Amino acid sequence: MSRLFDHSLKLVKKGAEADIYLTSWNGHDSILKIRKKKDYRVHSLDTRIRTLRTIREAKMISEAKSFGVTTPLVYFVDEKKCEIYFQFVRGKLVRDLPAKQIVKTCKEIGRVVGILHKNGIMHGDLTTSNFILSPRGLVILDFGLSQKTDKVDDYAIDLRLFKEVLNSAHAQIVDDAWISFILGYQEILGSLLTDRVINQVLVIEKRGRYANVI
Amino acid sequence: MLCLGIESTAHTFSCAILERKGKQGKILSDVRKIYRPPAGEGIHPREASRHHAENSSEVLSECLKKANVKIDDIDMISYAAGPGLGPCLRIGAVVARSLSTYYDIPIYPVNHALGHIELGKMLTGAKDPLVLLVSGGHTMILAFLSKKWRVFGETLDITVGQLLDQIGRYAGFASPCGPKIEELASHSTEYVSLPYVVKGNDVSFSGLLSATKRVIPRGIEAACFSLQETAFSMMGEATERALSFTGKKELLVVGGVAANKRLSNILSSICTRHDCKFFVAPKEYSGDCGSQISWIGLLESSKKSGITIEDTFVKQSWRLDTVEILY
Repeated sequence: MSRLFDHSLKLVKKGAEADIYLTSWNGHDSILKIRKKKDYRVHSLDTRIRTLRTIREAKMISEAKSFGVTTPLVYFVDEKKCEIYFQFVRGKLVRDLPAKQIVKTCKEIGRVVGILHKNGIMHGDLTTSNFILSPRGLVILDFGLSQKTDKVDDYAIDLRLFKEVLNSAHAQIVDDAWISFILGYQEILGSLLTDRVINQVLVIEKRGRYANVI
Repeated sequence: MLCLGIESTAHTFSCAILERKGKQGKILSDVRKIYRPPAGEGIHPREASRHHAENSSEVLSECLKKANVKIDDIDMISYAAGPGLGPCLRIGAVVARSLSTYYDIPIYPVNHALGHIELGKMLTGAKDPLVLLVSGGHTMILAFLSKKWRVFGETLDITVGQLLDQIGRYAGFASPCGPKIEELASHSTEYVSLPYVVKGNDVSFSGLLSATKRVIPRGIEAACFSLQETAFSMMGEATERALSFTGKKELLVVGGVAANKRLSNILSSICTRHDCKFFVAPKEYSGDCGSQISWIGLLESSKKSGITIEDTFVKQSWRLDTVEILY
């Protein structure tokens, strides 16, 4: 079995949740995502979180694929070691694109998120660094926090997070980017459902600490 | 330049005098009186404001005395105009307005939460940090970007301070309960599984609150330990996500809960992993105090003049990310 793996590992990114390595799997360029043990977390809690998220990510990514969302292929999962081997995707993180292109890409992001929601999946971590713009289109990553759900509130949490990210990391283009996102989202879900979700986003924002209460 | 800062957003009434020299501030005095509700009860806004009103003159005179200055020496007054409890805010505002009109001193309403951050930065020397603001009123992850402190993550319901206080009160302790819970937690290593809710960079504590109440009968020490471990790990993860997303090389933790050793412990371990400097506000100034209000006053005065008495205000809901920073 171990001969399948090339043991040359190159650290690409030390993420918050996992370390990302460039390696190869069975002759293919591959990304290895390892959810490393976190020393600051109590052991049982840490194991619970890492195992759950590894399994969930692999499952959800395959499910998302089944209704036409472009995600990296999952080559191999080791839930004991909390490792996943993914297909390597060439391209650029949306976060690092020029401002104008981010605004444009947000429409496509809106479509992708719309498809996920239409099929009862919330992503749970919609940031501009979880999308890669590749030559073959937009690819969505990181399903560790995703969930099966049919609650409008959960979909709204996804949208709110994305809005928060635009607001904090892309403050100069937040308004245009948000409109662009909603247009794409609406294309998939229709205006009725979109309005319901957006209304719920406002409800969640009002729950925020010291938010303006009308 | 001398500024008198008046803090009265919640349980603390405090006056402080700071002197500004260039980018540095020197705390000449910082006097506090804290309202203590009976064990098992929370802050009653009316009672807290009564406490503030009764203690205000004593705190003020002691503050002047300790700083060894007269009221005529004061160049400006700042008061915490929000966010906070209405009745409490009004006491601080009334004291500030009275002094301002009677002695003809310029007056500045300032944001309380901003005070936590800027005082923390000044005292620790952090330059461009990601900030974790943890207190009874806030649980927020912030970074500065084009004239505003932007929120990268926050609690979706109650704050970590409220979480600790509500569990403590439920168990019959006196507020604020953080230190007592920390003490009890240090006697246990038994982890009881509790709900862990991280949504992107945001956290939610309400489910954890209910679940912890249910495990208290199994032993208060284990409950406190499990509560701290779960809540702080959640904040740790959210902070780690924000660090990794923003690429900041400094982390600053401020607010009342910053005094918790276990939280510092977790955050400093995260900083080591991300090759990032860790700063925590000194214990004496991490909680609510007049110094934070006075320091913001001094910073603002470098860019704008005080406002007229007619325009002074208090605002119970005044979000930090709506304040434009000019300095």
